[in-house]
Amino acid sequence: MSGTKSPQDWMKDWQALQKQYWTAWTDATRGVKPDMPDPATPWHEGFEQWSRMFADAGKQSETLERLMASARNYSALMQSMINAAAGKPAGEGAAQAWTDALRQGFNFPGADALLQNNPLAQMLKGIQGPGVQSFDQLSQTFAPFLAQAKQEGMSWLNAPAFGYLREHQEHYQKMAVAFVEYQEATAKYNELMLKASQRGFEIFQDKLAAREEPGRQIETPRALYDLWVDAAEEAYQEIALSDDFRKVYGDVVNAQMRVRSQIQQEVERVGVDLGMPTRTELNSVHKRLHELRRELRGSRSAETSGQIEALRAEVLQLREQLQEKQAKPAPAVAPAKPKPRRAGPVRKRAAAVAQPRSASKQAVGSFAEALKSMKKNKPGSRA
Amino acid sequence: MNAVRIDPQKALAEAAQFNQRIATGFKTLRALDEVDYGVSAKEEIYREDKLVLYRFKGEHKPTAKTPLLITYALVNRPYMVDLQDDRSLVKHLLALGEDVYLIDWGYPDQSDRYLTLDDYINGYIDRCVDAVAKRCKVDKINLLGICQGGAFSLCYASTHRDKIRNLITMVTPVDFHTPDNMLSVWTRSMDVDLFVDTLGNVPADLMNWCYLTLKPVRLLQQKYIGLVDILDNKAEVENFLRMEKWIFDSPDQAGEAFRQFVKDFYQANKLVTGGLKIGDKDVSLKNVTMPILNIFAEQDHLVPPNSSRALKQHAGTKDYTEVAFKGGHIGIYVSGRAQREVPGAIHDWLSSR
Repeated sequence: MSGTKSPQDWMKDWQALQKQYWTAWTDATRGVKPDMPDPATPWHEGFEQWSRMFADAGKQSETLERLMASARNYSALMQSMINAAAGKPAGEGAAQAWTDALRQGFNFPGADALLQNNPLAQMLKGIQGPGVQSFDQLSQTFAPFLAQAKQEGMSWLNAPAFGYLREHQEHYQKMAVAFVEYQEATAKYNELMLKASQRGFEIFQDKLAAREEPGRQIETPRALYDLWVDAAEEAYQEIALSDDFRKVYGDVVNAQMRVRSQIQQEVERVGVDLGMPTRTELNSVHKRLHELRRELRGSRSAETSGQIEALRAEVLQLREQLQEKQAKPAPAVAPAKPKPRRAGPVRKRAAAVAQPRSASKQAVGSFAEALKSMKKNKPGSRA
Repeated sequence: MNAVRIDPQKALAEAAQFNQRIATGFKTLRALDEVDYGVSAKEEIYREDKLVLYRFKGEHKPTAKTPLLITYALVNRPYMVDLQDDRSLVKHLLALGEDVYLIDWGYPDQSDRYLTLDDYINGYIDRCVDAVAKRCKVDKINLLGICQGGAFSLCYASTHRDKIRNLITMVTPVDFHTPDNMLSVWTRSMDVDLFVDTLGNVPADLMNWCYLTLKPVRLLQQKYIGLVDILDNKAEVENFLRMEKWIFDSPDQAGEAFRQFVKDFYQANKLVTGGLKIGDKDVSLKNVTMPILNIFAEQDHLVPPNSSRALKQHAGTKDYTEVAFKGGHIGIYVSGRAQREVPGAIHDWLSSR
């Protein structure tokens, strides 16, 4: 049984696995990257190299990056868990020991030291994208300046500005204040992420305890990892739905917007100095254009509905006239002179004129019939 | 007894297999072409600004007399309803005889920043409804609103009852203040005026970041570790990438429409509490009196089921049907179960009305 192996045997197995691992990588990279890495290198570093190599992979590069980042973290996690399992009889090790091994797996060399024991924050930090990452970098750029500002007690940021450049100084002061507030809000957000991460480990331990009965035990590193994912998500949800989080999240977003706004204003000022069109000017044009379109549609619509109303009124008037006409007794008609018998065409004409007359006696079937009838019977009216 | 019984030797084998799969999986990844999407043939029947209204063409003439217009959310691309050959709501609906139309909102840019909900709902949707009705020579059409598009459809149906025969809502938020609605909790302390005044249009990356953070471990890590399991299967990897493309192929959000949506729907929950106004029209769910089929997903992390269920209580219709789908917000379009259950449920419901 594997549990009876000596530490030396484990070391051999471990080295064999390392070799197998790097051989697989070398096979895969043959012709792409000929130099074989040192087999003693921790696994996750292999992924770092691959990430760099495929950074320009084009169409699938983003998925590859995400795949490599996840695989790197998972690989470090597995290594930590295998180290914890190695040299022990199978089944040995309390829930706490496995939790520690898991926790250690997230703190692999190269991981952000500020986010130790905080896998949730590590993951969120890893999201790429121009709307997110670049802003984070910007914040880092300003960090030394802000650190100095903090050392000086921030008092100068509230000092009144004077003289020719007072407006500019005031803008810079506002921007610095916004940055500081953003940093403070982010720190509170990270605190909650740390709390969620810690809570995740607690829930993980509880879940482990619930797996002690036979048939429910964890037998693979992957199953252990999946259990941790369940625990971490549960903990995150607890925190993310809390009133505390609602406030902190709102503060971070609002603080970030204030910083962005200040930067935009500063960029606009430079743009104006250089004679460039600004975002505000463009917005103004777009806004006017949309208002104009709405006005145009509105007036068109009003015009159309005006015409419809006029037509409705006219039809109503025609109906009334028709009803009036129908209500009047038929005028006395002088007996018609006997007509001489004529050939077929004349009879046909008589049949044609008889039709509207008979129609006018019926209830009005449709607007079209009514109009036709009016035309025949009341030539002076508008039709 | 201990909860963990990891045999170190088996664990080593698992680790080796994981690494080998990645190493060899690169061969699969390098051999992949750009993924395509959208399988059903379609024709453009109306266009306005960046919006295009399509009619899908099935293999047979539609048997349904009333056309069905799909109104998708603004926050994702609508090709999710026709993603690939074996994952297409549209394809199944066509096969069942429906005459299917779809609004593609396009990708708003800064010139669209001042588009309002009034422009979207009483403008674009209304003109699309008219275009479909005119083409089919009918007075009323059937409307299928999905997610945010479902909320828009409810607003539209409330104020244009004379144009909608039947309304279908899919994974549609109605009550935005259910306690399990994470997006709602997060947006309620946001200064959305400052947000939109600063950003203009809301960048797609920011929206995606927000969605990923709803389930950060599953969506940022576990999903990709799962990808390793299928790396040796080209077809499976292509499916994964197609889905991945859809998830991140997101349009920016027109600023003013976003502002109003967050304020009136997420923050003030006016769809159920009342007082919602789109343009000059008062919206009340009590005015949604046509038959309603409400389909929601039981494991939806974006639109909690209770948020959708609230429609039953608030809608004015006497003909209300509810279908609870066993799956998530995305699975309702693309899972095998969805292909078997959802199009049939829609078609049967429509056929009986």
